[in-house]
Amino acid sequence: MIRRYWNINLEEMMKAGVHFGHGTRKWNPRMAPYISAKRKGIHITNLTRTARFLSEACDLVFDAASRRKQFLIVGTKNKAADSVARAAIRARCHYVNKKWLGGILTNWSTTETRLQKFRDLRMEQKTGRLNRLPKGDAARLKRQLTHLQTYLGGIKYMTGLPDIVIIVDQQEEYTALRECMTLGIPTICLIDTNCDPDLADISIPTNDDAIASIRLILNKLVFAICEGHSSYIRNP
Amino acid sequence: MAATVTASTLSSAASLSIRIKPRLSIPKPIKSFLYSKSPQFLSLSSHPTTITRAQSSDIDTSFFDNVNPEDDIVFDPPSPPEDFVPPPSFDEGPIETEEEIAAAYEELYGPAFSGESVLGNDVYVMDSKVKKTTGFGSKGKKEKIRDGFEERVVQVRRVTKVVKGGKQLHFRAIVVVGNKQGQVGVGVGKAKEVIAAVLKSAVNARRNIVAVPMTKYSTFPHRSEGDYGAAKVMLRPAWYCDCWRLVIAGGAVRIVLEMAGVENALGKQIGSKNALNNARATVVAVLKMRQFRDVARERGIPMEELWK
Repeated sequence: MIRRYWNINLEEMMKAGVHFGHGTRKWNPRMAPYISAKRKGIHITNLTRTARFLSEACDLVFDAASRRKQFLIVGTKNKAADSVARAAIRARCHYVNKKWLGGILTNWSTTETRLQKFRDLRMEQKTGRLNRLPKGDAARLKRQLTHLQTYLGGIKYMTGLPDIVIIVDQQEEYTALRECMTLGIPTICLIDTNCDPDLADISIPTNDDAIASIRLILNKLVFAICEGHSSYIRNP
Repeated sequence: MAATVTASTLSSAASLSIRIKPRLSIPKPIKSFLYSKSPQFLSLSSHPTTITRAQSSDIDTSFFDNVNPEDDIVFDPPSPPEDFVPPPSFDEGPIETEEEIAAAYEELYGPAFSGESVLGNDVYVMDSKVKKTTGFGSKGKKEKIRDGFEERVVQVRRVTKVVKGGKQLHFRAIVVVGNKQGQVGVGVGKAKEVIAAVLKSAVNARRNIVAVPMTKYSTFPHRSEGDYGAAKVMLRPAWYCDCWRLVIAGGAVRIVLEMAGVENALGKQIGSKNALNNARATVVAVLKMRQFRDVARERGIPMEELWK
């Protein structure tokens, strides 16, 4: 796997606040190799290691995208939901924005049933059949449609299980991480000082509270995915 | 330490092959390898004393020998190409209309479940690939023996849950699945109808398949005991005597051994007679067995020593 240049500079990351961790009392001792100092009751992560992991993650993602693998970005924190959606649309990946329904991946056959219902409702809305039904039925179907749109809107183009899953906060998306582990899907996880780095395959120690730091990391990964797609187009 | 971990996981994750039922094992070699060695040593030598840990020179593959966890990881990225322009962040780029986004997605993945097709592909393309939820009367569920595994039902029981309105009845089926070449699995499934329960348990059984170590005379390498819950099962290989070509075992144990393809064995249910627990206990007992070849290789002694 070739290592490319991903425009990762440490000053940029410090300005975004990537190196701040959570409070000292809430740490996970397994994060000890990645913590460099303790300042004012907050752990500070080692930025060189973060940068190294980030560049390796970008290399992996670039390689996978150039082989046309499918990605899934999971981020349900209400601070980050918006940026996750926009990042995924920019990178042409699937995403889960709102609550991660249990069993999306492990119970894929049932999720497919829901997606089929979603598609049928969309078709009915487009052909205008909803206007011909009585008001009560139409209102009920419209409500179902919006419900499915919020929860499954990001995965409506997914034909099978994804190949790589990117998770934004490990504590929040623990169910998603567990599902990927049981199925054996490689995961890239943005980790903070209160998370377990051994669960995911590539764990990037960052600050998962600040929107700026999440956006920075997502930027780099999305850039890598776009590059991978374009390199696939250039030489398939 | 962290760097080589990522390197090794990268190499395993970058292969990204198709996932079949055995799960992709991410290499965490030292911890799991050492842990798997020590209890076996305990059971073979039956020493209740200190666990002998393997030296790193015993293993022929070494992943972390030259890694020092105190090392500082350096970050030296390759130099940027000359015309490198930092790309805009995903918010500030050109704003794309819905049409363009839909077209781009469709180019990549086909119109999957989106309900609209901008590039003119068939919208219902996923129907043929997805198994339709069939009703009761259709023949969609008649897929027996799909992949060389034979199913045998151990027990079907009617279980009841008492609620305010009355009793709710379900059927619980226990099924053992196996090809007669050393692979078995035990599964449980519950449903409101017997057939549905049997199918569910067969699916469950195919998910936990285990390999049975057998010698070339279709028998076990050595004795073993396994317990699960209150059920304890003792398994013994048979020698060339008048119990040849017989499986002498009762109930659930017999069915598990037959499905595995073992033709000569003795088994006894000591303890509870519960069918499911006994089936699981035989699987546990079978997992504890090891082939002579593996033991000789690990201990570094010729195989003849083991038979003294």
